[in-house]
Amino acid sequence: MDGNGTMRIAVWGDELAAWVAVAQLAAFGNDVSVVRHSGTAANGGARPGQSSVRAEPGLMALLESAEAQGHLRAESDDQCLAADIHWLAMAPDEEDQAAALVQRLAQGGKTPLLLVNQSNFGIGASDRLQALLDHDIGQAVLCLPDTLQQGRALEQFGRPERLLVGCEDSAALALLKALLRPFSGGVQSLQLMTRREAEFSKFAITGMLALRLGYINELANLADLLGVDIEVVRQGMGSDERIGRHYLAPGCGFGGQHFTQYIEGLAGLFSEKRRSTLLDTVLLENQRQMELPFRKLWQHYACDLSGKTVVLWGLAFKPGVASIDNAPALRIIDALLAQGVQVRLHDPEALPEVREHYGEVAQLEYCADKYDAAEGADALLLLTEWPEYWSPDFGRLAQLLRAKVLVDGRNIYDPALLRAQGFDYYGIGRL
Amino acid sequence: MNSDVAWRALESHAAELKSRHLKDLLADAGRFESLNFAHEDLLLDLSRQRLLPQTVDGLVSLARACDLPGWIEALFQGEAVNNTEQRPALHTALRLPASGTLEVAGEDVVPKVHANLARMAQMVDLLHHGQWRGYTGEPIDTVVNIGVGGSDLGPMMACKALDEFEPEQAESIEVHFVSSMDGSQLAALLEQLNPATTLFIVSSKSFTTIDTLANAATARRWLQDASDLPDEVLVSRHFIAVTASPEKACQWGIPDTSQLHFWDWTGGRYSMWSTIGLPIALKIGTDNFQQLLAGAHSMDEHFRRAPLQQNLPVLLAMTGIWNINFLDIHAHAILPYDGRLAHLPAYLEQLEMESNGKSVRRDGSASPHRTCPVLWGEVGPNAQHAFYQLLHQGTEPVMCDFVVSARRYTGQRETLQRQHQLALANCLAQARVLALGDAALGSGQDNSKPWQRYRGNQPSTVILLDELTPRALGALIALYEHKVFVQSVIWGINPFDQWGVELGKTMATQLLEVLDSADQPGAAFDQATNGLLAAIGARRGGTS
Repeated sequence: MDGNGTMRIAVWGDELAAWVAVAQLAAFGNDVSVVRHSGTAANGGARPGQSSVRAEPGLMALLESAEAQGHLRAESDDQCLAADIHWLAMAPDEEDQAAALVQRLAQGGKTPLLLVNQSNFGIGASDRLQALLDHDIGQAVLCLPDTLQQGRALEQFGRPERLLVGCEDSAALALLKALLRPFSGGVQSLQLMTRREAEFSKFAITGMLALRLGYINELANLADLLGVDIEVVRQGMGSDERIGRHYLAPGCGFGGQHFTQYIEGLAGLFSEKRRSTLLDTVLLENQRQMELPFRKLWQHYACDLSGKTVVLWGLAFKPGVASIDNAPALRIIDALLAQGVQVRLHDPEALPEVREHYGEVAQLEYCADKYDAAEGADALLLLTEWPEYWSPDFGRLAQLLRAKVLVDGRNIYDPALLRAQGFDYYGIGRL
Repeated sequence: MNSDVAWRALESHAAELKSRHLKDLLADAGRFESLNFAHEDLLLDLSRQRLLPQTVDGLVSLARACDLPGWIEALFQGEAVNNTEQRPALHTALRLPASGTLEVAGEDVVPKVHANLARMAQMVDLLHHGQWRGYTGEPIDTVVNIGVGGSDLGPMMACKALDEFEPEQAESIEVHFVSSMDGSQLAALLEQLNPATTLFIVSSKSFTTIDTLANAATARRWLQDASDLPDEVLVSRHFIAVTASPEKACQWGIPDTSQLHFWDWTGGRYSMWSTIGLPIALKIGTDNFQQLLAGAHSMDEHFRRAPLQQNLPVLLAMTGIWNINFLDIHAHAILPYDGRLAHLPAYLEQLEMESNGKSVRRDGSASPHRTCPVLWGEVGPNAQHAFYQLLHQGTEPVMCDFVVSARRYTGQRETLQRQHQLALANCLAQARVLALGDAALGSGQDNSKPWQRYRGNQPSTVILLDELTPRALGALIALYEHKVFVQSVIWGINPFDQWGVELGKTMATQLLEVLDSADQPGAAFDQATNGLLAAIGARRGGTS
């Protein structure tokens, strides 16, 4: 902290939580540094690496203005290490990197520092980081679990309804409160607990979300068999205030490296300590769910896909990212290849990753245009709900496809509308 | 020397030797060294047999007099050694490497053997990768092998024996075996299975085996009840036929694309090396299955090329000949000291008794000699608590085969290694007590009561494996296959047919007709059958 009370903060990580913290802390006049990567823009500007983070409403504008005002700088590692406060919002698989970083801080000198850990490393990680530092000279780690939702993250950081803080040191807490004063509107919304409890709470929340997703998918599959429209049921469920509307959208499975890894970690913990298979079941069913669009196609064509051509729209594990980690598309592509199907692929961002994964295969065509991809296909499978897929020209599609078969893995289309245009429409639990 | 001379020489040798107890023979210096034989990691210990090193010479002379070398060559060359059915018995061709050649009736069979192995490997690969899809599109996760006899015993034995070699990708597939005609295994199994994810392998050389087709029909009906899809679709996605009669499998409804083939020159009880081994490959993976074949092939080469005096199958067979024909022993116990080999006794019961359980020679004459003994067995340590009493103190002479591996559970927990140590100790102890009797405890122990006495002198063979691996199992089974062949040559019988099982089938067909019809009392069989038919009719209240 310099003489006039401005805090010097270094933010580590390329997650949404990291960039939201950068933007908001800098906007309130703190000096914020991020590490300058070799890959960043030529002007040395600080930019998120993931398109889904860059797409966060308002984020880029805030970053640009912070930079213009001189509150945000991309600097070298060493410059960043000299900050007073270190904000860690790293990916769940980067605990080793975090530990290495904290070791460098510890070797840097006997000066007090505050480390805010917002990374999802699992239970006990913040304690492990604290153990690398010297608490007696005021080097403290606190845990501030990341509960941001994509699309509303800036608002949630700026005006949090409640904050969970894992902190066992009063001076560190005071410093955090000072840092968050512009946002938290006082301390009454802050729930204080130990670091482990905070991490456990994060685990518990994520597990609950996975259970909800697993449950709504199960319900959708049952609705399919019973002739009920899950869309109606889901609205009914959501109107009950005990349940709410979030995380109740059925689809062809959740993917992504972090979320899946995190649930696997929790499932492993349940299994090891409690012999409980609750979350294992959720994960297993999620794997099955990923193949659901394939099964709908398989059944449509009476268990014989030989000689067929199928177009896939959306390959990334979610819209806004180029990543195909644990994406349902991978399982669908594998299944189609094994059946000898010709597969045509389209995605606004993920095609290079898919190409890297599969290489040049005679059965796979990588298509730059979504309509070109559909030409002559015997079915269209929508797997990722990118904005550009929400309202395509169905008339054009109907003409391009050899067979008007559409499997909507994300329930983004209106079944009645599509059927009126002569499509065989299959959603997830849709009538 | 002609064979009669060789027989007579051995008879007089036996007459001299009969009076000598095994405990005395075992006192001879150098006995183990002169009576143990090895091929690769497999050790054959004949030192607890009631014979001398020179007995082996006499037995080898008998084998030579019976033209064993000529017969071995005929077997490997694909001559019609199965004379009653006029065809070769080429299980050895099933394990030839792809580089080998073997012409049968002007055609090299090796390419088609390997083409079918490659097709089998593709199917295994699809199943292991979760890409064999059932009628809902879900991956198959359960495979049920429907077969009986050779289409059941070999694969089941090998799957149990090599369970721990299951590769990770095979863990997603559960393999079951169903054989019994009455459907009791299948009915219990179907209760637990999901039709959408279950695949049936219908294994039948002729594709007419009633036991197998009856089970397959029940499985097919189960699928039809579970799905509205046309039968043709269900059968094509949920059945694989493994057969030497492709047309019959097609008629049953299994398309060519879901078939694996083998040929009439493979006997059922010699068929686990063919595509009949599909459940084995599914369980242990294609690479391990290849190791199984390689182990058997290595034994084939040994059998074909090693001098008779060091030839393991020949020595094992001739020891049996000695016991049966010269020492008058007609019971043979198979005693693996390894729970993984639990199905080995049943497997060998079929292999030996269906092959050599015959009394007519190749030329149609009655055999002047006793042939195949009665075989039975059990996992050794369990049998100790069951029938060993008879081995030790009964009136029947019995020859025993102990099978055990030197190493097991390497790198696993200590208590398990201890359990293997315990099994090994028991194996050695039983072989010793059977041979020596009371003398095993040393002299001065003769003050025990009569019912505490052990007379000993029961001969046994120990087959020691280094470790039970796919390769070692392949060699072990090939050892017994060739042993059976050698004995058949000495007895002059054809080990590759099984006419003795035909009449029962014909008779069952007649009885089925009578049971199906309402007029059972009118049946005209023998008195006993008529009586039972009437009793059954009465118990069923006159309805059939």
